[in-house]
Amino acid sequence: MPVVHVEHLSKRFGKRVLAVDDVSFALEKGSITGFLGPNGAGKTTTLRMIVDLVRPTAGSIAVFDGRYRDLPRPWTRVGALLDASGFHPGRSGANALGVVARASGIPAARVAEVLELVELEGAARRAVKGYSTGMRQRLALACVLLGDPDLLLLDEPANGLDPEGMRWLRTFLRARAAEGKTILVSSHVLAEVEQTVDDVLIISRGRLVARGPLASLDAGASPVVRLRSPQAELLQRHLEERGAAVNRLGDALAIRGPSAPEVGEAAHQCGAVLHELITERPSLEDLFLEIAGTRRPES
Amino acid sequence: MIDLVAAELLKLRSTRTALGLLIAAVLVGLAPAVLILIFAPAEVLEDETVGGFGFLVTGVTVVPLLGLVFGILSMTNEYRHGTITYSYLVTPRRARVIAVKLFVCFGVGIVVLALVGSLVTLTAIIGYEVRSLELETSFLFEDGVAETLALVLLAAGLMAALGVGLGALFRNQPATVAGTLIWALAGENIVVSLKPAVGQYLPFAALQQVVTGGVTVSTGAEVGLSRPEAFLVSLGYIAVVSIAAVYTTMRRDVT
Repeated sequence: MPVVHVEHLSKRFGKRVLAVDDVSFALEKGSITGFLGPNGAGKTTTLRMIVDLVRPTAGSIAVFDGRYRDLPRPWTRVGALLDASGFHPGRSGANALGVVARASGIPAARVAEVLELVELEGAARRAVKGYSTGMRQRLALACVLLGDPDLLLLDEPANGLDPEGMRWLRTFLRARAAEGKTILVSSHVLAEVEQTVDDVLIISRGRLVARGPLASLDAGASPVVRLRSPQAELLQRHLEERGAAVNRLGDALAIRGPSAPEVGEAAHQCGAVLHELITERPSLEDLFLEIAGTRRPES
Repeated sequence: MIDLVAAELLKLRSTRTALGLLIAAVLVGLAPAVLILIFAPAEVLEDETVGGFGFLVTGVTVVPLLGLVFGILSMTNEYRHGTITYSYLVTPRRARVIAVKLFVCFGVGIVVLALVGSLVTLTAIIGYEVRSLELETSFLFEDGVAETLALVLLAAGLMAALGVGLGALFRNQPATVAGTLIWALAGENIVVSLKPAVGQYLPFAALQQVVTGGVTVSTGAEVGLSRPEAFLVSLGYIAVVSIAAVYTTMRRDVT
C-alpha cells in the first residue's frame, strides 16, 4: 500500500492557468523521492494539494489510504515544509514551534528536542525576525519533525542554505531515510538532491514528464565525444555525412552519436590529426534540464 | 479542541499584538476616568444625574471597539504572516480553527472589558476617597443591573468574535480594520440618524443597544431595541458572519 497515492491530479487557477495537469504517482514506504522541475512547474501546488491546502480541480489523493483531513492528529503522521517564512516574526522560535506542538497535542518537551536536532537550541528564545534565511529553513524543518511523522513533504528545503547548510540537509535527509521515513523532496536544482534521492519525479509545465529511479535517467543519456583537431572543419563535414550531430567551436568539436573509437576511425579516414579525444557523459543536471525543458509529456 | 484553545492562547501570549491592545484598552478606559476624577468639580462628581459611575465609564465604552480590532487582527495576522499554512496543516478541518478563534476572542473580549471596568471602579473608589466625596453605588444593586452588566460583557465578547468572522471573511488586514471602523463609527451612525427604523437593526448599532438599550436619534428621541432584543440581533449577525467565514474559508486555496 503506497503511503501517498496521487491519481490524475489536476489544478486549474482561474480559466487560464493549468498549474497541474493529470499527474499520477505513488510513494512507497521508506522511499526518498526527488520531485524535480523548474520554478512554476507545479511542484508546490501538487504538494499543497496532498495536504489539503489547495483543492484539486480533478483527480484523487490518498495519504495513508485516506484523505489528509481525515487523519487523526495529522501532524504526527505527515510533516510538510511548504513555507519557511510561515512563522510570526515577533514570536520566538520556541514559541512558534510551541503553537504547532500544542495544537497537535505533542508534548512541549519535544520542541527543545527538535530545536537541538536542527542545531537551533541557542536561538530558541530569539524572535524569528532575527533569524537568517537558513535558520528559518532549519526552524521549518524542526517544525516538520515535531510529530516524528512517517511521511515528510519538503518543498525546496535547500532554499537559502549555504554550502554548509546543504551538507547538513543531505545528512539530515539520509538520517530520516535510515529511520524508514518516506520523503518527497522538491527542488528546481537536481544537484541539491541527487546525492540523496532514490527515485525522481520530473514535472514540467504541470505535467509529469519522467519518473523512476535516478540511475535510469543517467542510463538513458547518450555520451558526447569531444575532440580537438587542426582539421576540425574537415572532420565535422566527414562526421555529419555519416549522420552524427556535431557542434564546432574553433578547433574543438562536440559529437553526439558515434562512440570515441568510431570518431577516431573517421578522423583516420579523412586524414585529420587529433590532439585530444575524450568521451563525456552529460551531467544529471544537463539531463534534468533537457527532460524538464523539452521532453514531451507521458501519454 | 482543548489543545487548539491552548495553542490559540499561546499565540496571544507570544506576540505583542494582544499585549499592546490590552494596554491600549486599559489606557483608553482609565484615562477619562482619571482626568475626570482629578479635574471635575466636586458638585459634578456628586451630581447623581450626570456624575457618579455613568460619567466615569465613558472610556470603557470604547473598549469593545478595541476588542473588535483584536478579533480582526487575530485572524488577519495569520494570513499576513503566513502562519495560516501551519494552522490548517495541523488542523485541516478549517471550521475548527475559526471556531476556536471565535471562542477565544469572545472570552478575551469579555475578560478585557471586565478587567478595564474593574480598574475604573477601583480608580473611582480611590479617587472619590482622595477627594473626600461620596460615590453613589447603590444603583449597582438595583433589580436588572446585574443582567444588564452581563449583557454588556457578552456584547463585548460578541464584538471581538465578530472581528474574527470579518477577518476570516476579508483576510486583508488594513482594509478590514479600516473598513470596519469607518462603518462602525461613521457609516452606521449616518443610517441611524437618517433612518432609525432601519439603523437600529444594523450590526454595531445592535451591539451598542445591548449596552444602551435603545438609541438616541438627532431629535433627542429614544428609539430602538430593548437590550435582550439587541443581543439577539447581534447574535444573529455573529452567526451569519461566522457561517459565511467558515463557508468561504473551506473553499479557499492556501497558496
